[in-house]
Amino acid sequence: MTAISTHIERWERWWTAPAGIAPLVTLRVVIGAMLAFSTARFMALGWVDDHYIRPVFHFAYAGFEWVRPLPAAGLYAVHILLLLSSLAVLLGYRYRLAAVLQFLLFTYTELLDLTYYLNHYYFVSIASALLIVVPAHRAFSLDVWRRPEWALEQVPRWTIVIFQLQLGIVYFYAGIWKINYDWLINALPLRIWLPANDQLPLIGPFLAMKYTPWLFSWAGMLYDATIAGWLLWARTRPVAYLTVILFHTITGLLFQIGVFPLVMMGATLVFFSEKWHARWQDWFRRRVFTNTRQGSARSEIFLLKKTNLPRRWGEKFVRRFVLIALFFHFSFQILFPWRFLLYPGDVFWTEQGYRFAWRVMLMEKAGTATFYVKDGRTGREGTVVNREFLNAHQEKQMAMQPDMILQFARFLEKHYANQGVHEPVVRAEVYVTLNARPSRLLFDPALDLTQVRSTRELFEP
Amino acid sequence: MIKSIFRTAPLLAALLLLFNACDPAGGTDTPNFDRKAMLQDYATNLIRPAYGDLRAKAEALHEAAQTFQSAPSLSALQALQNAWQTTAIVWQYANAYNFGPAGEEGLRKSLAEEIGTFPASSAKIDAAIAAGAWNLNDFNRDARGLPAIEYLIFPAAADDAAILAAFGTTPARGQYLTALTQDLRARAAAVHDAWLGNYAANFVENAGTDAGSSTSQLYNEFVRSFEALKNFKLGLPMGKRPGQTMPAPQLAEAPYSSASLLLLRNHYDAIEGIWRGKNAAGAEGLGFRAYLEKVEGGSALIQSTEAQMAAVRAAFTAVPDSPALSEQITQSPAALDTLYTELQKLTRYLKSDLSSLLGIAITYSSGDGD
Repeated sequence: MTAISTHIERWERWWTAPAGIAPLVTLRVVIGAMLAFSTARFMALGWVDDHYIRPVFHFAYAGFEWVRPLPAAGLYAVHILLLLSSLAVLLGYRYRLAAVLQFLLFTYTELLDLTYYLNHYYFVSIASALLIVVPAHRAFSLDVWRRPEWALEQVPRWTIVIFQLQLGIVYFYAGIWKINYDWLINALPLRIWLPANDQLPLIGPFLAMKYTPWLFSWAGMLYDATIAGWLLWARTRPVAYLTVILFHTITGLLFQIGVFPLVMMGATLVFFSEKWHARWQDWFRRRVFTNTRQGSARSEIFLLKKTNLPRRWGEKFVRRFVLIALFFHFSFQILFPWRFLLYPGDVFWTEQGYRFAWRVMLMEKAGTATFYVKDGRTGREGTVVNREFLNAHQEKQMAMQPDMILQFARFLEKHYANQGVHEPVVRAEVYVTLNARPSRLLFDPALDLTQVRSTRELFEP
Repeated sequence: MIKSIFRTAPLLAALLLLFNACDPAGGTDTPNFDRKAMLQDYATNLIRPAYGDLRAKAEALHEAAQTFQSAPSLSALQALQNAWQTTAIVWQYANAYNFGPAGEEGLRKSLAEEIGTFPASSAKIDAAIAAGAWNLNDFNRDARGLPAIEYLIFPAAADDAAILAAFGTTPARGQYLTALTQDLRARAAAVHDAWLGNYAANFVENAGTDAGSSTSQLYNEFVRSFEALKNFKLGLPMGKRPGQTMPAPQLAEAPYSSASLLLLRNHYDAIEGIWRGKNAAGAEGLGFRAYLEKVEGGSALIQSTEAQMAAVRAAFTAVPDSPALSEQITQSPAALDTLYTELQKLTRYLKSDLSSLLGIAITYSSGDGD
């Protein structure tokens, strides 16, 4: 008993030991800036309209069917508010409120339509949730400028470790899911994707070479599975970070993943020492603030003060609550990616347990889904033109993902029942190609999808 | 250990480069397809001639319309009708390239929508003639282009003499007709000029596979054209849409001229031509098919696609040239049913297998499952 409790005590001491706040400041700035930029970009490209307003049908996340798009004005308001709150996070202005808003609004927009699911978005959602519970605004922020007494030099170590842990989980899983026959032995899908990018400047010709896909497959797997370790170790950190830059620059060039290479390059900075972070913040402070007309009196406020952890920080209740929440969060993060083991069949084919598991850019998959709606009374069957209801992106994603196919089938049932088709029978002929193999039927095209209750039933004989 | 990794890494990289460099270029999965050469062939061998033909025939159509308007006669009407049919046929070879100069821009929709929206709205056309006023740049795309011209010169229930009489009694009819042919000619000429000018070079230079690349745009419009053939030129008039309780032959393309089947066959020929890189005159160049030969899984896809294309051809052969499509739909739809089914079976090869194997991004945002 005593042995265990000393262990726990020792662990708790480590976990709450003081650490410099500078890495948190960097994270706050990186995530706030990236979300602000990506939200502005999203609006500028007209994607609010394309993604959320124009489509007549939206695919829901299981359990979040109640999250529906607001009317157009509401959606724009959400995006503008999101932009503002991420700017507030960046500047550390009314930070907790801003962080809560940033998390809720961003997650709301993500939950609107399953079509646009990306692991990167999921990561941003998690990172902004974690930002809520850490005091990232207690240095170098507008909040400290308003309330100098809030300034902190040190924070409990866990506030930084949770981000390292989260990133470690993301990379590690991204790495181990690459350990499969297609990826390592066949170099698929990279054998499809790399030569398709042979027009890229500088690296293009290299991508078109015969053995490059194998190099990239193995290097990608090793990189993802081990990078967190190299980043943790001070001796290898600089080189490891160089590979972070290289890796994400290449994936950014190859795939249409928007600002996320930058997000990862920024977020992995959290592995750097507090000194490193303090250095660039000091540099920035000197460059920007000592030159302002207000003079150094104001700029002093941004400087760190030697203070101990305030007594009120970590009131028992809050501390307990946060600790328990984090425990559940990380247990979930570690266990949930394995749920695919509970489903029959190949996870690449059925995609049951595929999402929320950090399976990133793992396969080249595409399908053609043709839906047939039969009038249960007259027996007359018609072929649905998907594009009448879905945009190109929705159709493309739906056509290979069984749960989305079922959702669309249920939508068609309702839609055509309203159009006067009696007791509609909906079936779908779905041909899917995976990693350049000839396309084949995803499930029995004779199944009446209105009678299928779960994705699992599609694959049971 | 870490040191040894650093020490060996350059060596490994050098070895890899050596492997790559020494490997002879042959081999089925050596991806060394020249996409620029393919785009060049599409531009010079298919697209430019297709728009050139369209422009020339539209020119002739406009002249025939002017001749008919200034001196209406049965023979002038028949010459006009022939000119229309020739234009409608060459249009089938040009209707799949709705990007760049033929794409949407501001209020202008794609060329296919501006000159090819069917069925024509007889109500709108009659109203415009009655009012003696029309605007050929508004949203009423079903009151201009080839289908509207067809409606004017081949009204279904009337014979040629009645049409002649209608033009005789209402001068606005002739004016509307020439305004339409003039508009058609101008639109075709504008797109052709762009392809004669700088656009072709831009098209060839934009040789990536990302969304917005020439390959992606060409591919997307190719699939869209194929699906339009299946869904709107055949499926809809046959009553194949859910909720349709009977065939709707009046929704076919070219219902007045009885040219629906002829146009359908030519449209399909054009689709196969794009697949092979073969133009209307039969000259071959590099196309999607040649590209597939160079990628993983490509030969298997070529085989299954062409087997299915053969089935579609057989189904086309089984459909007689007469009676007209509308009549076959209502009286003897069996052969058409088979054709529709075979076209449906071809869809997946073109719509998802092809883009997946070639790694073409068909939309701007990327999914993890890509």
